[in-house]
Amino acid sequence: MSSENRSSVGRRRFLQAAGAGTAVALAGCSGGGGDDVVRLGATYILSGFASLYGEAAERGLEMAQSEINDNGGIDGRDVEVIVRDTEASADTAIQQMRSLVEEDNVDGLFGLDSSGVAQAVAPQAAELGIPYMITHAATPFVTSPEGEHENSVGNDYVFRDANNLAQDMYGAAQTAAELDATEWATIGPDYAFGYETWDYFQDFCAGLGVDAEFTAEQFPPLTTGDYTPYISSILDAEPDAVITPLWGADLTTFVGQAEDAGWFDQIDHTLFSVGMGTDLASDGSPLPEGEYASTRYDPFVPDTEANNSFRETYYEEHETLPTYNAEGAYRALYLYKEAIESAGGTDPDAIVDEFTGMEHSGPVGDYRFSEKNQATVPAIWGTVTYDDEWESNVLDPVNVYDANPDEMADALADSDLPTGV
Amino acid sequence: MSLSSLVPLIGVSDVVVGLSLGSRLFLIAVGLSLIFGVLGVLNFAHGGLYMLGAYVTLAVVTGVIDNFWIAALAGALAVGVVGAAIEFAAIRPLYDRIDADLDQLIVTFGFVLIIHETVRFVWGSGSYSVDPPALFDFSVSLGGSTFGAYRLVVIGLAVAVLAGLWLFITRTYFGSLVRGTSSDREMASMLGVDVPRLYTAVFFLGSVLAGLGGALSAPLQSTSPALGDQVIIDAFIVVVIGGLGSMTGAFVGAMLIGMMQSLGPQFISAGSIAIPFLAMVIVLLFRPEGLFGGIGE
Repeated sequence: MSSENRSSVGRRRFLQAAGAGTAVALAGCSGGGGDDVVRLGATYILSGFASLYGEAAERGLEMAQSEINDNGGIDGRDVEVIVRDTEASADTAIQQMRSLVEEDNVDGLFGLDSSGVAQAVAPQAAELGIPYMITHAATPFVTSPEGEHENSVGNDYVFRDANNLAQDMYGAAQTAAELDATEWATIGPDYAFGYETWDYFQDFCAGLGVDAEFTAEQFPPLTTGDYTPYISSILDAEPDAVITPLWGADLTTFVGQAEDAGWFDQIDHTLFSVGMGTDLASDGSPLPEGEYASTRYDPFVPDTEANNSFRETYYEEHETLPTYNAEGAYRALYLYKEAIESAGGTDPDAIVDEFTGMEHSGPVGDYRFSEKNQATVPAIWGTVTYDDEWESNVLDPVNVYDANPDEMADALADSDLPTGV
Repeated sequence: MSLSSLVPLIGVSDVVVGLSLGSRLFLIAVGLSLIFGVLGVLNFAHGGLYMLGAYVTLAVVTGVIDNFWIAALAGALAVGVVGAAIEFAAIRPLYDRIDADLDQLIVTFGFVLIIHETVRFVWGSGSYSVDPPALFDFSVSLGGSTFGAYRLVVIGLAVAVLAGLWLFITRTYFGSLVRGTSSDREMASMLGVDVPRLYTAVFFLGSVLAGLGGALSAPLQSTSPALGDQVIIDAFIVVVIGGLGSMTGAFVGAMLIGMMQSLGPQFISAGSIAIPFLAMVIVLLFRPEGLFGGIGE
C-alpha cells in the first residue's frame, strides 16, 4: 500500500501506513502503473462514527495482501491495494472511486460500508466499466437488476461477497418465530438502511407466518448524540421485542442510554441486526449478554480449516476476533486473485465474466454468486454471550439460516421487495 | 404510523428528559445571547467551544484526575480562556471596521473549522462517553418510567446558573457596567468604562458557560466532533425564539426546544428534529424580536 495515496486519511493513518510499509508497498510505490503489480482500490469508512468498520476492513485486506504476495502473488504479480476514505458520504465515495480508476488505474474495486453510499456508487461502476466487489454495504437493491423495483440499481459490474439485508432479515424473521414475543418495534437510522431493515423484517415475518404485530417505530438521524427521547417513545409503546439496525458509534451510544432508561428490563428481547460488526466498542459498552445479534460472518462458523486458520492468524496479530468486515475485505482479495488468474489478465470485463456465477470458498464457507451477483452466504443469528477465552462477545448458541434464493423469493411472494439474491 | 404512536403517553421521564435537554441548550444559548447582547458579535464558534468543554472534561477525567466535578470545572475554565484569547486576538481588532458584523461572522466561522479540526487531530473522529459523577450514577423510577438521576442535577444547575447570572447582571457593579455598555457603548466609554477589557471579560464569561454546558452534557450524550455543529443550530433557534440578548428568553426558549426534542418522537417516528425549526419560523413571523428582548431581563 502506498502511503502517498492516503493523505486524505489524516496524520495518524499516514504514520500507520508509513510505519507498516512493507517491501510490497515499496514495490507498489516505485511501480507507478506498470504491469508488475495488480492494483486494486478499496473504499471504506475510515473516519467518523463508523471508522471501526474501515479499520477492521483494512486489517483483513492487509492480511490477505501479505498472504497472497508471500505465496507468489497473482499470476506472479504482487497485489497492491490503495485504500480511500468514503467518510460515509456518497459524493466522497464517487469522487474517490473515480480518482482510483482514472488516476491510479486500478484493475478493480471493492469495499463500501453504507447502503446509502452503495446505492449511489453502483451505477457509477457500470458507467466506468470496472468490477466492484461490495464487502459490507447491505441494501438488496444493488444486487437487484435495474427495473425489478423502482430503487433497483443492480448491474453486471456490481457484486457482493457478504450477505445482504434481505438475507439477514430472512434469518431475523426465523429468529423472531422462536421467541415469545408478538408486539415488535424498531429503532433505526433515518436513511435507507433503517427503513429497509424494518420493511424486510415485517414482510419476511408475514411471508413466513410469524405471529407478529408491528407497533412502534423510531428513526433518529445518524450520529444522534442523545437517543433518550427516541428510547422513551419506544418504551411508552411497550413492545415485547425490538429489532434495531443502529450501527457503529451510534449503536454504542444507544446501548448505554438504553441501559440508563431501563430498556433491557422492560423489553423482553432486543435483536441487534448485524450488531456483531460493532462489538469492538472501544469505550467498554458492548452488546448486553442474552440479547440477540446477527453477523455476516462468524469466526467459529463453519468449523473448517480455512475459517479456523483465518481466525487464529487474525487473533494472533490483532488480539481480537475478526469481524465480518475484516473477513469480507480479506475474501475480496482472494476473489480478485481467482478471477484474474482464471481470466489470464486484468481486463475488467474478463474479471466481471469470471465473477459471474463463480463458486468460491473462504473463511465464511462455500458459496457461489447468484444470477444477481449476490453471494449465497447464510444469515447468522445467535445469542450474545461473553466468552472468557477470547475476552469478547460471541454468538452462542448460534444459528445458521441458509439463504436459498428460491425459498427467500417464496417468503417474499406477497411483497414488492426484491430479495437481491 | 401505528395507533400507539398516534396517542402519545407523556411520562415523567419525558418531562425530565425534555428539561435536561433544555438545560444543556440554555447553558450554550445564554452565553451566545450574552455575547451578542453586549458585544454585538454573533459567535458561530460557540458550538465549537461547547464541544471543547466536553472534550477537556473527558481528557481530565481519563488522564488527570478521576473526579467529574473538577474535570467539568477545568473544562469550563479552559474554554473560557480559549474564548477570551479568540476575542482578544481575532475579534477585538475588528470592532472599528465599517463592515465589522460581517468580518466578525467570518472570523468566528473560521474558528468553527479550527476548533473542529483541532479536536479531530487530538482526539480522532471517533466518539467517547463520560460516566456521570458516581454519586448520581443511578436510575430513578418514577410514574412507571426510568431516567438517570444525573439529569436532575443538570436541570438544577441550569436553574442555579440562571439565578446566578441574573443576580450578577442586576446586582453587581460589573453587571451595571455590562448593562450600561450594552445599551450605549460610546457613552460608557466616555464615562470611563474600559470597554475593550469589559468585552473580553464578557466573552470569557460566555465561553465559560458554553464550556460548562459541554462539560455537564458529556455524561448525557456521546462526545464526537459532530457535537459542536449539532448544538449551535439548536442554540441559534433558542436565541431567536427567546430574543437575542435576553437571559430569561434563552431559558424559556431552551426549555421549549428541549421539550419539543423530548416529545417530538412521541408524535412522529422520523423528522421530529424539524419541529424546533417550525417553531422558530412561527416566532419570526409573529414576534420577530423573540418572546423576550434586551439584556438583563
